[in-house]
Amino acid sequence: MVRAATKLGSVTEGTVILTVNGVQREVFVDNQTTLLDLLRDHLDLTGTKKGCDQGACGACTVHVDGKRIVSCLALARQYDGRDVTTIEGVAAEGELHPVQEAFVRHDGLQCGFCTPGQIMSAISLLEEGRASTDEDIREFMSGNLCRCGTYPNIVAAIRECADRDGDR
Amino acid sequence: MTATINDRLLGQPFDRLDGVLKATGAAPYPSDVSIPGQAHAVLLQSPIGAGRIRAIDSTAAEAAPGVVAVITHLNSPALGEAPMTGLGGPPRNPFTDDRVLHYGQNVAVVVAERREQAMAAALLVDVDYEVSAPILDMDDPRAAVENNAWGLETHDGDVEAALAGAQVTYDGTFRIAPETNNPIGLFTTVAEWDGDRLTIHDSTQWPMMVRASLAAVFGVPEAGVRVLVPYLGGGFGNGLRTWPHTILTALAARMLGRPVKLTLTRPQMFTSLGHRAQSRQRLRLGVGGDGRMLAMDHDATASLAAEETNFSAIVIGSPEAYATPNVATHDRQVRLNIPNPSFMRAPGHAEANFAIESALDELSYQLGIDPVELRLINHADVHPRSGLPWSSNALRECLTVGAEQFGWNDRNPEPQSMRDGNKLIGYGMAGVTFGWYAAPCTATITMDSAGSVIVRAAATDIGTGTYTVAAQLTADLLGLSMDDVTVKIGDSDLPPAPQSGGSGLAVALAAAVQSGAAKLIEALIDAVGDSSPLRGKTVDEVVAENGGLRLRDDADAGETFREILGRHGLDHLTAEGTSDLAAAAKNAKMATAPAFAARFVEITIDEDLGLLRVKRLLSVVDGGRLLNAKTARSQIIGGAVMGIGMAMFEDTIYDQDTGRIANATFGDYLVPVNADVPDLDVVFVGEPDRFSPTGVKGLGEVGVVGVAAAIANAVYHATGRRMRSLPITIDQLM
Repeated sequence: MVRAATKLGSVTEGTVILTVNGVQREVFVDNQTTLLDLLRDHLDLTGTKKGCDQGACGACTVHVDGKRIVSCLALARQYDGRDVTTIEGVAAEGELHPVQEAFVRHDGLQCGFCTPGQIMSAISLLEEGRASTDEDIREFMSGNLCRCGTYPNIVAAIRECADRDGDR
Repeated sequence: MTATINDRLLGQPFDRLDGVLKATGAAPYPSDVSIPGQAHAVLLQSPIGAGRIRAIDSTAAEAAPGVVAVITHLNSPALGEAPMTGLGGPPRNPFTDDRVLHYGQNVAVVVAERREQAMAAALLVDVDYEVSAPILDMDDPRAAVENNAWGLETHDGDVEAALAGAQVTYDGTFRIAPETNNPIGLFTTVAEWDGDRLTIHDSTQWPMMVRASLAAVFGVPEAGVRVLVPYLGGGFGNGLRTWPHTILTALAARMLGRPVKLTLTRPQMFTSLGHRAQSRQRLRLGVGGDGRMLAMDHDATASLAAEETNFSAIVIGSPEAYATPNVATHDRQVRLNIPNPSFMRAPGHAEANFAIESALDELSYQLGIDPVELRLINHADVHPRSGLPWSSNALRECLTVGAEQFGWNDRNPEPQSMRDGNKLIGYGMAGVTFGWYAAPCTATITMDSAGSVIVRAAATDIGTGTYTVAAQLTADLLGLSMDDVTVKIGDSDLPPAPQSGGSGLAVALAAAVQSGAAKLIEALIDAVGDSSPLRGKTVDEVVAENGGLRLRDDADAGETFREILGRHGLDHLTAEGTSDLAAAAKNAKMATAPAFAARFVEITIDEDLGLLRVKRLLSVVDGGRLLNAKTARSQIIGGAVMGIGMAMFEDTIYDQDTGRIANATFGDYLVPVNADVPDLDVVFVGEPDRFSPTGVKGLGEVGVVGVAAAIANAVYHATGRRMRSLPITIDQLM
């Protein structure tokens, strides 16, 4: 019976301490709060987007200890002590990350809603050395849906970054 | 009087102005808005497809932690009816009575301090349903049928006689699955009342429409309702009605006297907003031996909700697609127990094109005429119904340039004649015609004493590039740099503008901006001193450049904007531009031209696995004058990707016993992913349109049209199997 879930024992909320974009944060959250909701609702880091809340669209992609994850499938309290980077934290103040710059120049965004997740994935892809061919870029970016259909421009942006990094 | 387009900035492929905001996550979408003191609302939706609510027990939910209210049809006040809009009637109001008409109908709103609490409490609302058998099949004899509901049928000439006399006839039936728009941005509403004044952040493509609807529903003055949507996470037509969840959020905020926020879940994006109707088309054509189409009878049936309306007709564009002397169209909508269909990118046109362009491909084989040639033979040199000349039409060029660039002549038309190992190769193409649309629009341009301007209109940028192209056009018309122009849109308090929809905004807004620029130049000339060389001149006698005005025939005789405003001590100067192109079109003595296009596609099919892949796709588009070559191209490739979805993936599946949408997640409802899409080529041809004051045509939707037919035709070429049903899935190819 689904209702039982709401009648769990005494602990339904608590504190989580984690580093977000280089700053240690202490947040009091409901046990059901996802890392995504912690970022958006408690830390006002709304650059990370919720597109499905089911781990299927990639809009909520962030880096945890340097690896990309979908933050909607991560319960915040399980991320105590971890190091989280969001779209707000990828570039130095007043500058753009080269991947952000390439997305803008290649028009790898339209409505822009999936863009933070696309860029977080793209940064990882390049760091993982998985951008050496267009086929690889397409395959390893396929966890990030874009309904505006900017895929060819996203591939062009990542291709350019990979070329510059000498990854191809 | 008109402001001159200098072609200095216009059309240039500038990066979009909001690109950095979006790439850094700083662009504020409705779901990013939070208001201090807000409560969170979640929807409880019906798990049955038809029936009645016998009772609702919300005692347990109301007692759950953090819950502030459970609102149902039992305790909500009566609501007013939203007015008709330019796009038809409003959705059925929420909580009207105890009847359930479709799966996913709103049954309760649970409001709590935190969203998690509201979600948990929603599970405690006990609803007792009396379940009826839903009507879900378009062929169900119990389903009510609406014939020609919008008067959009055409009956021109004697179709039956022409069909009877034709040397070659065609008769085919096509089916297209219901598609769900599924923008990635979850639709969100944040509502806050101050007395009878409502401020609402809402995912919409049409702030003015939401304002009018909510004012009527709540019986408050329209001027006191402010709708804000500076950024929208996609819409593709979903944002063209005031949906029940928007009304319910405002209702909850009004009842509770505090701000309320509601974000739809992904499954609720399938049940709470519109979708592309399911459709069945029968197309009959009569053709001469020379390939000339003599008669077309296009009969289309689309799904519709049980008690709502959907202003749409699949056959709306068919009569003007080709030079066919005898045309009859039939528009039918069948009422089912489903969420109401609405608009999805190129509604009607995308579906009809699949039938017409597939039929022409079949006829090309029957007649032994090349498919490109067959389209050229039937090209409508003048508007086929009115006989008026087109205001622009480069469809021939789209076809011929496309054939050349694609290498169409390399194609051996014989099915199964081209292969690469175990992969069958298919080439397919389609011609594309579309519909012209423009609604009245206003825009103001305010210049400050430094010569910078702010452009204001209650329009939206749904990813199409409105911010960028409006700035580009304004800067071009006024001789400014892009940095001198700020564009303010996405707010219903701004000068009235139409929806981002029907591919009509760019055309209407560009004309309004051009009108505003002319009036601003006129006001500036009025403000010059007696000794100014500009004194007494008309707009046509001056040129705007380098931050000022000069005489057209004397480059040295002029003044800067700063000088003109400074001399009079003016802080700022505002001019209002307007456009009403639909009204102007009535006297234009020409047929207002939409965008035209041609598609060429190469696909491969794994002979063993039936796996269909798009290898390359070329779009050649007559888009009139381009405002920005980069964002224009993006509209076309984006449409093409959605066309790939229509052709190969998208199908909203209703469980035939319960009406439950069985695949209402991104795990189950397939949309194209990056790996499904090759590099897409786009070529623009044609000239500035001579009716559209700026020469601009709408490009938001034409990109989707023709992709499905081109792919289906390529599948035939590869396999010899004709696909008359979308999506084309692996089971049809095995």
